[in-house]
Amino acid sequence: MWALDRPWRPGTRPLLADTPTRLLVTLAGAVAAGLLLADRIPLPPGALRVVGVAAGQGALLATALAWAGCGTRSGVVAIVVLVAAAVATTLDPAGALGYLLVPLWVAWLARSGRLAALGLAGVVPGRAVLAAVLLGVFLGGHLLVSASLTLGVRLRAGRGGLVLAALAYDVGANVLAAECFFRGALFNRAQRRWSFATGLLLATAAYVVRYLLDPLLPKSVEWVVGAAFYLTLLSAGNCWLFWWSGSLVPGGVAALLFFAAYRLLGTGA
Amino acid sequence: MTRALAAAAALTLAVVTTLIVQAGGDPASALRHVYLLPVVVLALAFGGLGGALSAGATLVLYASVVLPAIERSGLTPEAIEGLVTFALVAGVGALGGTLTTRARRQRARYETILAVQRALAGVTLLEAALRSVRAVLIDRLGAADVGLVVRDGEREVAAAAERVVAGSVADRVLTGGAAVFVPDTGDGSRPRRVFATPLVVAGQPIGVLAVERVGELGGEERAAVEALGAHVAVALENARLTSRARRFAEELERQVANATRHLEELDRAKSVFVAVASHELRTPLTALQGFSEILAARSLAPEEVRRMAGIMGAEAARLGRIVSDLLDLSRLERGLAPTLHRTPVAVEAALAATANLFRRGAVDTLVVDCASALPPVDADPDALERILANLVSNAVKYSPADSEVRLCARRAGAMVEIEVLDRGAGIPDEARERIFEPYYRAPDVGTVRGTGLGLAVVKALVDAHGGTIRVESAVGAGTRVTFSLPAVS
Repeated sequence: MWALDRPWRPGTRPLLADTPTRLLVTLAGAVAAGLLLADRIPLPPGALRVVGVAAGQGALLATALAWAGCGTRSGVVAIVVLVAAAVATTLDPAGALGYLLVPLWVAWLARSGRLAALGLAGVVPGRAVLAAVLLGVFLGGHLLVSASLTLGVRLRAGRGGLVLAALAYDVGANVLAAECFFRGALFNRAQRRWSFATGLLLATAAYVVRYLLDPLLPKSVEWVVGAAFYLTLLSAGNCWLFWWSGSLVPGGVAALLFFAAYRLLGTGA
Repeated sequence: MTRALAAAAALTLAVVTTLIVQAGGDPASALRHVYLLPVVVLALAFGGLGGALSAGATLVLYASVVLPAIERSGLTPEAIEGLVTFALVAGVGALGGTLTTRARRQRARYETILAVQRALAGVTLLEAALRSVRAVLIDRLGAADVGLVVRDGEREVAAAAERVVAGSVADRVLTGGAAVFVPDTGDGSRPRRVFATPLVVAGQPIGVLAVERVGELGGEERAAVEALGAHVAVALENARLTSRARRFAEELERQVANATRHLEELDRAKSVFVAVASHELRTPLTALQGFSEILAARSLAPEEVRRMAGIMGAEAARLGRIVSDLLDLSRLERGLAPTLHRTPVAVEAALAATANLFRRGAVDTLVVDCASALPPVDADPDALERILANLVSNAVKYSPADSEVRLCARRAGAMVEIEVLDRGAGIPDEARERIFEPYYRAPDVGTVRGTGLGLAVVKALVDAHGGTIRVESAVGAGTRVTFSLPAVS
């Protein structure tokens, strides 16, 4: 038994240990430079979006990978792929398929056993995936119904290409980065350091704040309240799925289903 | 059963929402009160989690009725009714679930204590008690593992590990006396929490209870484990005392049995001794009586008279040795050492005198082999003579008629070692360990005469001189008795 036959030293690692500070500062600098340039010279269309994707999603993903012990280089590779995909998307919506290279990179890292700390190792419990599907369908369905009833939002009909591009973005950037960081890294560290409840509160608060700060979210009160409501439920559900299964995959499935429903609405990008 | 209950509750929530929506989506619909039913049922059935989930599901469903109404008409009395229902459902779910969970935990604690006491009923060994309690606690606490360590005197008895490793959580609790909580052991896809609390009886830590669980082990549960530890400590202390009492009883029983067996053997040996001693005393007496009668009744030639006188002298000496042995033994049994009058004694002369004594008794196979320049020994001459006589007598008695008996002496540091070596029958291993015990005679001595006192007296005399004595023997090959006496420097 561990408590009897393994030596133990009191003390825990800092919560933010292994954070790739220099990379994050570089990304912040890129964003600041982009914003400054945008004020002074006309930038190509979508340039700020490219910088935003690289800095926002890239920072989350790179931090998660660094916390998992993969070092900074793995994160840099992911950021480069994100930038390439974002550039391709500005040229053609089909370029969003480039985002799918990021999960392939993450899958390759996971297969080599380097992402166990993020919950990307071992067998994914089928019951957890089923529960995730139920959660995603419930929240997504509720979103569609309440948004159409309350806000009068219409579904995007006849714009399948844009929806698929948005879904590719979710798979390769939005959901992947958010789940890796907020669940696999932040929640996992916090719950191992304190408790499930503390980890849930911290990860959910950070998750909601991240989306409320997202420039692509409509800033009307209804959308902000709705986003906070659904993202809180989604985050809490995903934290529980992660805690229950020890795997990041079920939470990713639930988030993808929810965001798929969100992409069907006539807003968001 | 639980799944059916959950499904029925979910169905009820869905049906109620549908009915309210179909009836026009009035937030103040009387049907809204039905929401409380599944929330209460699930809170009672599943505790805090059931209450929270059912309340959450209700709020999500009912929101699709209340929020559009607020959107349409603002905070009308109906909408406020709906918001009050929100609060009521949330409160009932949270409160009902929390109270149910607490009541269940309390019940589980009492049941655990009872289960521990039941597990210890009739268990007398501490190790078995720990195993039983561990099995009960793993089951009752839903733990991945439970470790128990109890100090029993100098030893530590542990369940779940061979021993307590220095620096481990259990070791720190044992030495520090305070509970330790480790939020995560660091291995595994889910957090593995560890809580170890000292087992305290009458203010003294007697051991450690350690619980490992995959998942949560919150503050309330840790407090419960700590309280449980107090009960387990008392139960294990009782088991420990029972175990110790049983061990003492078994040890006492074993010692009494050994003592009884020893006394029985002593008694039997004494009986044998009485018979043998009577015979040994009677034999020289008979010889003395017979020869004295012959001398008194007949006129014999001087040479015949001398021969008879010699025999009578030898028998008298033999009688004297037996009496001396008996007197020495009597002193030994009273815990007194033999009285010695020590003086420097030349070893070679003493050996030669003993050899001559036996040669006069028609034993002509004695060989004396002394190292040159041997120092004298600090000994009582009479005692040394008796030691040598006893050893040589044994060697001669238990050897074939024409086999050689050697008397050797050599210097060994501050001592002089004297050795009596024969090529006789030898002594079996089991008898060799006991030959210095009074009255003891090896079982296969046959018709050889003896009282069983000689070697006991020899050892007592050697010990009284501050020397040592040892026996090496092989059955059929002979025996070597070596004793040492202090040399005169």
